[in-house]
Amino acid sequence: MIEVKNLCKDYKVKHKEPGLKGAVKGLFKPGFETVHAVNDLSFRIGEGEIVGFIGPNGAGKSTTIKMMSGILTPTKGSVLINGEDITKHRKAVVRNIGVVFGQRTQLNWDLRLGESFELLKHIYQIKQDEYDKTLDELDAILGIKELMGKPVRQMSLGQRVKGDLVASMLHSPKVLFLDEPTIGLDVSSKYALRKFIREINELRKTTVILTTHDLGDIQELCERIIIINHGVMMEDGNLSQIVDRIAPYKTLVVEFYDEEAPKHEKCEMTEHEGNIAKYKFMKKDTTAAEIIADLSTVKTIKDVSIEEAGIDDIIRVAYGS
Amino acid sequence: MTKYLYIIKTQIIKSLTYEFNVYGNIIMQTIIMITSAYFWKALYKNQSAVSGVDEESMLTYIIISSALSVLMFTNVERRIEQSVEKGSVATDMMKPVSLFGVYFAEDIGSIIALIFQNMLPILLIGTLMIKIPAMADIRDLPLFILSVILSFLINWLIAALFGMLAFTAVNIDALIQVKKHLLRLLSGSIIPIWFFPDAVANVLKALPFVYIYQLPLSIYIGKGDRAEQIAQMQIQFLWLVVLFAIFFAVQHRVTRKVMVQGG
Repeated sequence: MIEVKNLCKDYKVKHKEPGLKGAVKGLFKPGFETVHAVNDLSFRIGEGEIVGFIGPNGAGKSTTIKMMSGILTPTKGSVLINGEDITKHRKAVVRNIGVVFGQRTQLNWDLRLGESFELLKHIYQIKQDEYDKTLDELDAILGIKELMGKPVRQMSLGQRVKGDLVASMLHSPKVLFLDEPTIGLDVSSKYALRKFIREINELRKTTVILTTHDLGDIQELCERIIIINHGVMMEDGNLSQIVDRIAPYKTLVVEFYDEEAPKHEKCEMTEHEGNIAKYKFMKKDTTAAEIIADLSTVKTIKDVSIEEAGIDDIIRVAYGS
Repeated sequence: MTKYLYIIKTQIIKSLTYEFNVYGNIIMQTIIMITSAYFWKALYKNQSAVSGVDEESMLTYIIISSALSVLMFTNVERRIEQSVEKGSVATDMMKPVSLFGVYFAEDIGSIIALIFQNMLPILLIGTLMIKIPAMADIRDLPLFILSVILSFLINWLIAALFGMLAFTAVNIDALIQVKKHLLRLLSGSIIPIWFFPDAVANVLKALPFVYIYQLPLSIYIGKGDRAEQIAQMQIQFLWLVVLFAIFFAVQHRVTRKVMVQGG
């Protein structure tokens, strides 16, 4: 479906020295610095996958998405979508992809939403019956039809993003790129967006590639994540496997009736405050049930809960390196 | 093709929603028209004709010049500038259409709306306040229309080339204004270049600008004989070809550059 091979992107950035002196010097003798925004990325994405791209700001996520969607030409390497090189057959390939940038819109500020859609219908030359069918289908998920008569400039961010999502799906693309789609959205809009992504993925087998800083998006949507930092791939794989590998531990929180907490040889007590103690244990060494059983032979336990290592920990480990 | 026709239609809808924007231009054109009318009336007081053009023809010239200026409306410069500034050039390029094809269609749409919102009121005001701007010889009409079409294309290409500066300079607001007024001066739209000293007039004749306004206007008022007009239209056509060639080469490079630098 999508094949990315040795993708690199270098930017030449003007290097300016600070201060007035530097500014004057830069006028006469601009120094250039090459920045490797993306460095040798290779991966494959199959049909119907939802892949999350995560990484800190400036990691090269957006640059990668832009290259994958044909907006940017890579310095080196190639992107094949359905076997076609995106830089060589841009006009043909863009029919198969839809893009939503959370921070900009492809809708027309001066038009009503419905008029924007009509325009896209003509640009992509979508047949009327297909267009109606797609719109009905998308309306069932997002409830977009009530917004059709509203000028885009009067829309709230949540409504606009909904509009953008529908606009990007009108021509039934096989691949949908979402660059920080949930940025700035409230909880219910976020929920609607996630539902939309899941449903189009199920109904239409649309491949979805998204970048986000919202860990909820990742946890709810993606089975597979790709972590990049400084333009280099740090991790690529199944979300739960990565979690297991990077954070192979769980934390058991136990509340006792008094302030005395017993130790346990198979785990480490990380915190002990008042009646509550936290035990961190490796998943391969023992189970929570075993620890509880052992502890309860020594002391009476009032309450227990388990903290799973989540995506936050992964991110901290991956970004920290 | 239907895509672009629909873009034109959408643009007409868009233009019609901003009714108030257009009054400013009507007022401005009226002021230019009336002041030049008095200017020419004063100038012609002791003279019946200059370079074979009498006062009546000159008044027609300025009315039609004002009307023609509506057709020379271009938004392509600002459109490029904004799409570079806001980065929407990226989303424009995501669609299976030619970028400049879209810009061209949008300008055509705006102009169609402007013909009703601007050109007809200007012609009406000119007729009521100055005179009826009748054509000297109605048989010249096909030639006039053809020449206006070429003018329009030349003007648009110059604007598009100019707009492409935005890809490197980013903010070209001030330059757009300079270009707009310089073009009106150099094209003979306010003062025909036969009033200029010979040396200046000859230089201007070699540039594409006079073929935007002065040539179609001269045909309209019947200045010069048919052979002279045809010869000038050949130069006009040549300029169109040259500008198109430049446009084509530059456009190719500029889009490549955007795709390398990022939107």
